[in-house]
Amino acid sequence: MATRVDPNFMQSLEKFGVKDWKGCFHCGNCTASCPLIEEEYQFPRKVIRQAQMGLKDRLESNIDLWMCYFCGDCTKTCPREANPCELMRSIRRYQISAYDWTGLSKKFFTSQKWELSFFFGIAILILILFAIFLPPSPELWTNPTRFINEQGGVMINNMVDGISGEKFLYIIHYGDWIMAFVAGGLLITNILHMFYLTLWRDKSVQIPFYAYFTQLWKLIYHFATQPKLRKCDDKLYWLGHMVFMTGYTIMFVLIVGMLPRFQIEEVVPWYNWQRILGYYATIGIIVFLIPVVIGRFRKNKCKLKYSHFTDWHFIIMLILTTISGILIHIFRLAGMPVATYFSYVIHLAILVPMIMIEVPFSKWSHLAYRPFAIYIAALKKAVVKKKQPEQVPVFA
Amino acid sequence: MNFEPTIISFLCNWCSYTGADLAGTARMKYAPNIRIIRLMCSGRVDPTFVLESFKKGADGVLICGCHPGDCHYHEGNYKCLRRYHFLKKYITQLGIEPERLHLEWISASEGKQFAELINSFTETIRELGPSKIKNVIETYT
Amino acid sequence: MEEIRIGVYVCWCGTNISKMVDVEDVAREIETLPYVVVARDYKYMCSDPGQDLIINDIKKHKLNRIVVSACSPRIHELTFRKALENAGLNPYMFEMANIREHVSWVHTSREDATKKAKALVAGAVSRVRWHNSLDKRFVEINPATLIIGGGISGISAALEIADSGKQVYLIEKTGQLGGFAAKIDLSSPFMYSAPQMINPKIDKIFKHPQITVFLNTQVEEMSGYYGNFTTKIKTEEDHEVELKFGNIILAIGLSTFDPSVIENYKYGKIPDVITSLEFEQYLISGKILRKDGSVPKNVAIIHCVGSRNSNYHDYCSRLCCKNALKYSNLIRAAIPDANIFELYSDMRAMGDGCEELYSATSRKNVMFLMFDQKNGMPDIREASSDDNCKMVIEMDEKLSGERVEIPADLVILMVAIEAQKEAKKLAQAIGISMCGNQFFIERHPKLDPVATTTDGVYIVGSCQAPKGIPHSVAQARAATARILARINVGHVEVEAATAKVNEDICCGCQTCISICPYSAISLDEEKQVSVVNEVLCKGCGTCCSACPNGAIRAQHFTDTQILSQIDGLLEKSLQLQEGLL
Repeated sequence: MATRVDPNFMQSLEKFGVKDWKGCFHCGNCTASCPLIEEEYQFPRKVIRQAQMGLKDRLESNIDLWMCYFCGDCTKTCPREANPCELMRSIRRYQISAYDWTGLSKKFFTSQKWELSFFFGIAILILILFAIFLPPSPELWTNPTRFINEQGGVMINNMVDGISGEKFLYIIHYGDWIMAFVAGGLLITNILHMFYLTLWRDKSVQIPFYAYFTQLWKLIYHFATQPKLRKCDDKLYWLGHMVFMTGYTIMFVLIVGMLPRFQIEEVVPWYNWQRILGYYATIGIIVFLIPVVIGRFRKNKCKLKYSHFTDWHFIIMLILTTISGILIHIFRLAGMPVATYFSYVIHLAILVPMIMIEVPFSKWSHLAYRPFAIYIAALKKAVVKKKQPEQVPVFA
Repeated sequence: MNFEPTIISFLCNWCSYTGADLAGTARMKYAPNIRIIRLMCSGRVDPTFVLESFKKGADGVLICGCHPGDCHYHEGNYKCLRRYHFLKKYITQLGIEPERLHLEWISASEGKQFAELINSFTETIRELGPSKIKNVIETYT
Repeated sequence: MEEIRIGVYVCWCGTNISKMVDVEDVAREIETLPYVVVARDYKYMCSDPGQDLIINDIKKHKLNRIVVSACSPRIHELTFRKALENAGLNPYMFEMANIREHVSWVHTSREDATKKAKALVAGAVSRVRWHNSLDKRFVEINPATLIIGGGISGISAALEIADSGKQVYLIEKTGQLGGFAAKIDLSSPFMYSAPQMINPKIDKIFKHPQITVFLNTQVEEMSGYYGNFTTKIKTEEDHEVELKFGNIILAIGLSTFDPSVIENYKYGKIPDVITSLEFEQYLISGKILRKDGSVPKNVAIIHCVGSRNSNYHDYCSRLCCKNALKYSNLIRAAIPDANIFELYSDMRAMGDGCEELYSATSRKNVMFLMFDQKNGMPDIREASSDDNCKMVIEMDEKLSGERVEIPADLVILMVAIEAQKEAKKLAQAIGISMCGNQFFIERHPKLDPVATTTDGVYIVGSCQAPKGIPHSVAQARAATARILARINVGHVEVEAATAKVNEDICCGCQTCISICPYSAISLDEEKQVSVVNEVLCKGCGTCCSACPNGAIRAQHFTDTQILSQIDGLLEKSLQLQEGLL
């Protein structure tokens, strides 16, 4: 069956951030220079070609693109300065929006207003919820010593009148769970949709059931070590990304999974595991974010040269979350209950909308999509090898 | 040891010799058994030339000229064609296999055809084996 | 009889020859042959030091015959003849053995190639012994020039020659001058208006006192020779006119491929499938509309229609890619929201400004789709009611490996450039060669691009191969420069190697007279012997082969010379035949 070409697709892709794409004349230098392609994954040329011809189905089902880490070698070698790297990134944004069945992702990627409104909407909701249900005790101002424990730190769970420390903790804890369930639930349905688009929609492909298990190790291995990124020239970037990724994963687990053991009243010595892990995560995030922000301003690295507004939003939200988190910690240790309370509320008012936007709908979701893409590619490979052993793609 | 024939070839200057040059320019490969003599026109191919070649030990003789209608001198190739048919009969009477003499039209652009012709003609002569006429002449003179 | 002293020079041609032929060995063995005084090998014989080597040897060793064993005599025979002349030797005391085109470039065994080279050189040595001095002959040149074809090439050549004060006869088969350049609107890639370029020139032609234009006229026959040609033509008014001229420029241009033979494209069946030439008319009229008067929303341009396809023409027509890009630009300007598709098999927009045009076009939202000439020719069909367009083109897109369909309301076929239908007849009438594609062949593709194998006949423009306006004009001016230089000298050298009758042997049988294609031989009634008119004789030698008693001699191709060459080629005194005989 022939597919109808769509000459206006590329223009619609411009909203996802692509620039300069018109120069491309399909020479294939991008593919030739790419350190990541393998025989079965061929890009960027193939993906670019599908985009140029407006073959949306192909783009949605294309899994190869997820092997790319945007090192920018293709853009460096492009003779027409058509910036394939940026095109790849834009197509990935398009793919993320295609996986999302709610349609919100597309809104967020193509409209800054939508994303900001959503962000502030949730932030204000959080502030209102605190104002109504967890208002600060007036004694924070009049009698601050009431909130200081024997180590001199602020008792963070006891700052609301009429609600015990334990109760406060569990309100937040369950709130976290609700947030994690909503965001995670959306992400999981999106991943299932991704499975549908890339794997199950094509009825001719039959995945043997056992392959779902035998290939599972790839999902974990790629999630945990990101071996593809390590193949790019910039090894330092891999290391930074690794520290960053483990940092926020730890933070996520501490907050969502183990809040009652993390957010404790007493101030434990620095060598306790809560604090060690917390410091590691914070430093990991900062150490990576600082050069990234500098890079995005300087625009001297291909990877960081072209910033879509969603990139900036993500960075800004992360920085604000991190700074407010650090402030809570400092104010707490300094024994400043009022500052602790407000920094805590602000921290949550930033963190919650960030998670709600980023996890299921925007840039952050690549954390889940990419290992799953590699998993799906492995599943596809298992089939291709079984059913059509001689099929080799003719054109890259 | 395999028999390697020697072939004398008469090419007209305007079409066939240029065609042979083209085969060279295009680096086409053909058998090294051929010895080319350039004439201005295939019409210049005197029957004596052919007979002398066989007498002196050539195993085959190849004549090439312009395609009919393309002769630089209007009609020299037709004259050649007439002599060719006559010569075919004549050498047969002398006891030379008629396949040893061959005429083919090669234009200035037919380098590929020229290379193919040399290979196929060399193969023909190789299968025929050495020409015996030289020994016959030596025996009787 | 003077003592024969032969010098033999074996050229390395850099590595071209020396890589496959042991040139030093060839020189060493040839030196042992009788009459050979010196035999040398040298890197580049055609270079100045190489020629000086010959000249010095001629003086030092008193050589009187020279053999150069190098490339084809078609390339450098004249070079070396000149060298002989410079050394005071008659240029015909020279023979060339072709061990490059006929040996080193075509063989793969160094041993065989060396053996063959020795044989060829031995043949040349054996032949050159019998060479005689021939004198150069000159004839007056008629300063008029005949130009066949009134397109941009013919017009440029005519003006150039006429402006120098020489007579030009310009013959055009149609009723108007301008050729294909007059049928297009803007020329790519720089978008100059073609009418604005060509119309002033046409006006000038008609007003020029030195140019006589014959419209609706064709040349049927040609007689005469370099410097003095004659033709009879029938003019529009049905007068028979005899024209005399010294040189001929063929500028008969091109015709276009008929796309109806490609069934996929439905040309002639679907009205809005048109050729590039028809689309030029749309552009000239200023309206890009479908046959029903509506504005096309989707325009598809198909490249290589009849070009680069072994079923039609193998060659590239050279102009279509840049013209197709021009169309995309013009359509984008005329219909800003149109979807434009270029279906190409390889983008070959070469030359000044063309790559830039390609780049600029691709930035105008034109979709380029590649097809495969062998397995993926596009297929045009009329659309059904729910297709939302008039035609649908289905094709295997080569770069993506996808089968896609393309909506189209107007399809432009970039038709191939073909040789003119009457080219063959003209080539036969004038005596020049054609290639397999019916284009005229130049004398040498690199070194002599506008001359032909017939002296005084030049080919310019697209009758030689598809080419655009600048190349055609350049060729036209190149040809006129050659002609004017010759006219300036006033006479031309004609073939010295003519036939010559030995009156003592001639029996007056008149066989030669009946056989001569140029009627150059007549009977001396008094002596009852044949006489050769040396001006008319072209030296083909057909008469010599026919003469029953060998009275007529083809100078420089005498029986003795050729028979000696055969001897030399089959020479056994050298060890060249072992394993061969």
